[in-house]
Amino acid sequence: MQFEFPQNISSDFGGYDTLVDLSNKISDIYFEDIPLDFSKTKWFDANLTAVLGAILSGSQDMLNDIKIKGVSEKIKVLLSRNHFLSHFGGLKIPDYYDTTIKYRKFKITEGKLFEDYLDSELLSKEAMPDMSVLLRKKINKSILEIFQNAVIHGHCNNIFSCGQYFRTKKRLDFTIVDLGKTIKTNVTEYVKNDLSGEDAIKWAVAEGNTTKCGQIPGGLGLSLICEFLRKNSGKIQIVSANGYWEQKSDNESSNVFSSSFPGTIVNLEFNIADQGHYCLSSEIDGDNIF
Amino acid sequence: MKEIKVNIFEQIGSSAAVSSEDGELLYNRIAKGLKEKEVKVILDFINIELITSTFLNAAIGQLYNEYDSPFLRERLKVENMTGEDLELLKKVVERAKEYFKNKATMDASIKEALGDE
Repeated sequence: MQFEFPQNISSDFGGYDTLVDLSNKISDIYFEDIPLDFSKTKWFDANLTAVLGAILSGSQDMLNDIKIKGVSEKIKVLLSRNHFLSHFGGLKIPDYYDTTIKYRKFKITEGKLFEDYLDSELLSKEAMPDMSVLLRKKINKSILEIFQNAVIHGHCNNIFSCGQYFRTKKRLDFTIVDLGKTIKTNVTEYVKNDLSGEDAIKWAVAEGNTTKCGQIPGGLGLSLICEFLRKNSGKIQIVSANGYWEQKSDNESSNVFSSSFPGTIVNLEFNIADQGHYCLSSEIDGDNIF
Repeated sequence: MKEIKVNIFEQIGSSAAVSSEDGELLYNRIAKGLKEKEVKVILDFINIELITSTFLNAAIGQLYNEYDSPFLRERLKVENMTGEDLELLKKVVERAKEYFKNKATMDASIKEALGDE
């Protein structure tokens, strides 16, 4: 079985559809060579290597040998710079432009390591000089919330991440992927009602909704990120099972894939040029907070 | 009333209060303090640069399962928290009150919200 990648793989419905399709086509293959042909591909959003890496890592667990071929020099440099290819037999090369946030695979117990990775890969980057301290903090917090969400709700072993700073657009995309329990499964079990993948995501992002039912409350993390990204004119995209949901500035849209992704992808796109001050909605009296 | 200060930075060994696991550890320490009579627990967030809702839900949100607002106002206090993080804590507290107030009502409202879509 050979998989041919199309001309463009971007962080949009079409790009995710290609990756969901790949995931399904190789999910049942065991102990075989799997050639991935990139000869037609002219563009690959580097942050999406988190998704590709998650899919290929699962396939390697099935003892398959992944053969990446036909990669143009431009894409090879991109995928080497963010260390993606080094996980699949390629080389690491230095990122002189300082615009990549390296592809990494974390165990769910490696939360502290993930914090250090964000600190060195994102917060200390000199290539992003325009960010205010508050904006950096909010970006960091959003990413850490998503990582924790995957740990709590995904019931998975690993979490995959990668980011890319698009210098000319002043945008930072950061993608986190888990191959755990999907949002559709979690929400369907909780509400005891069979929801579509896209409706389950809509339910999960609404403030106050959580599938937690133990002693620890939830239902804030995703809605706070969405609120911040609206003010930031950023974007959030979520893929889980066969559902796709996106919020771009104030606009929401959703769609359905023809097949299902066996986990959850969250892509956060931050507007780095944002000079917003994020005033507090009201003065909080610390003595009466409880 | 005797005051017990919990230094969060020392407790979690990091300037980022992020995980549910660290929140749970802090919750256990707060709960231990609140079980003692005439003790006020002071949560000192000095040197903490980043706090997530996940951490606060585990550390403070779940206290509302056992204690009500008047009790916690009297026996629990936060210090050295930025305005932004206080705003987050306020949201976590309001959410926790709602979460524990009436689970049956919550379940009904979830069903209603789904029906509206």
